[in-house]
Amino acid sequence: MVKPKIGIFGLTGCAGEQIMILNCEDQLIDILGAIDIRYFPTAMTKNDEECELDIAFVEGAVVQPKDEELLKKIRQRSKLLIAIGTCAVWGGLPAMRNDVPREEFLEKVYGTKGKSFKSIPAQPLKNFVKVDLSISGCPIEKEQFLKAVASLLHGDLPLLPSYAVCTECKMNEYVCMLVGENKLCLGPITIAGCGARCPGYNIPCHGCRGPVDEANVASEVKILKEKGFTLRDIENRLRSFAAQAEILQEQFKKE
Amino acid sequence: MLFYQNLRRDLVKTMQILKLDKKNLNEFIFSLNDFGEVHAPVKKGDKQFVFSKLTDFSKIKLEYTRTILPPKKYFHPPTDTLFKFSQEEGYQSLTEELRKKYVIFGLHPCDIYAIKILDLIFAGEFVDDRYFIRRKNVAIIGLDCIPDDKCFCRSMRADFVEDGFDLFLSDIGNSYLVRVGTGRGDDMVRKTQDLFKEVNKKDITEYKRRSDEKKNLFKVDIELSDLPEIMDLEYESKVWEEIGKECLSCGSCSMVCPTCYCYDVFDEINLDANHGVRKRQWDSCLFKDYALVAGGHNFRAERSLRVKNRFFHKQRGFVAQYGRPSCVGCGRCIEACPAKIDIIEVINRIRGAKL
Repeated sequence: MVKPKIGIFGLTGCAGEQIMILNCEDQLIDILGAIDIRYFPTAMTKNDEECELDIAFVEGAVVQPKDEELLKKIRQRSKLLIAIGTCAVWGGLPAMRNDVPREEFLEKVYGTKGKSFKSIPAQPLKNFVKVDLSISGCPIEKEQFLKAVASLLHGDLPLLPSYAVCTECKMNEYVCMLVGENKLCLGPITIAGCGARCPGYNIPCHGCRGPVDEANVASEVKILKEKGFTLRDIENRLRSFAAQAEILQEQFKKE
Repeated sequence: MLFYQNLRRDLVKTMQILKLDKKNLNEFIFSLNDFGEVHAPVKKGDKQFVFSKLTDFSKIKLEYTRTILPPKKYFHPPTDTLFKFSQEEGYQSLTEELRKKYVIFGLHPCDIYAIKILDLIFAGEFVDDRYFIRRKNVAIIGLDCIPDDKCFCRSMRADFVEDGFDLFLSDIGNSYLVRVGTGRGDDMVRKTQDLFKEVNKKDITEYKRRSDEKKNLFKVDIELSDLPEIMDLEYESKVWEEIGKECLSCGSCSMVCPTCYCYDVFDEINLDANHGVRKRQWDSCLFKDYALVAGGHNFRAERSLRVKNRFFHKQRGFVAQYGRPSCVGCGRCIEACPAKIDIIEVINRIRGAKL
């Protein structure tokens, strides 16, 4: 069997997904046995900039014109393009405040030198190219990455959870942060896959994996308001990781 | 012949109700370790409880209300690896862990009733061996309880069980009346027979007094008669749409339900794409993918239809198939729902009762 050619790319982000892939220490040998990594500058020195790829894993949000350029080039040379991490899937943390003009940020962060940077409102990959599969998470779960590679080698797309964090939280018999502890927990509207890690440590879900499909945001907001949280607090949390998600945008437009 | 008569006499004598002083409870529970790993209700967080391996007697919470997950987790775990497969060796069942013996101490009647309902389901047209092997290896010791404001087991006719346990303990003050339900329960009692006493008239009076008293402690009630008919008549009720707007499809109610048994089955392939495992995992009819079929059609695409389906299956569909609702009134779904969807309120609304 010819090993599929793989590229692992980073746009604007923290490289957390790439580090997570490198963290698959027990499986790295198996991974290398199964795939042919042609591009992974975070981990290798010799990278093929041009060759055709079977699968491209892309991390990070599009925040600069050069991100968009690189992304379009990756799409051209890849059969499958997979968004990894919440930035690539939803825009992530960089997209938290797209309503504020970029110039303000640039000036605040870089002072007068900020003018030399080109920055655009942070957006997920799907706003620019066709994305074949999304693996969200901040960072991604090792298991989901490995599962995805194994399934793709087998010729299938992986089966990733399509339900909310609450489901995993209950399966693990964790104390409910929302009902029991009255915390600002986004578990009911956040896509599972993390094993409800934070509630397991008595930390409410901050929604780092992005919203579940058909999330009932209106009901979640109503519940949190009844618990005494202000709309500002609720919306700030909703904005943290997936502010660009259409389903959350609907909520922001409402009030 | 004499041996047979003695055996018979002993059997008749022990298949009855005995008395265990509360001060001897720890010693009795300790002796149960010979029958399996003892699990009992312990505290989790400030307000909740779970059935968990007992490592310290002082941790048992005999007056617990309800556990986060029901005891179904012992027979039908959240995730269960069914078998492994490879191109070279074909399919290999994974049955080893099914044989592990447990003694679960402190199940309330509703939870025991729920297990009896699961028994019916898993013994259906296709008998589920994994469920029944586990079931056989788990001993059940029941414990009576005081209802709280979410308990409606009495309405669901699950506040008292006649079978489904090895032993059942009823509190009568300084001691428990211990009902023996099975041969295994009999063995448990025999093992520590010095701890057990005969029941006297005073004990019986006290038991009856408490039993009567309990009936008046229920704070919530559902009228069960003709509920299936009313649900059919109200199939198009606006109530379902209203609840659909509140429901988060988070699946909490299904996970914590002692009689929700749906599961999804999937394969996990290893990196060599040559071997892997088949798993099953709890599923919920509230998930949007639940009724999604190949080709993309979804039989219950709208949330209100999914909510309605869940209530209908518990209170209507199951009645048609098995002669009673599959709800036992444990109150877990009421406690778990972030949107405060309350089955008692839903049924009362459907009934048109004044709230």
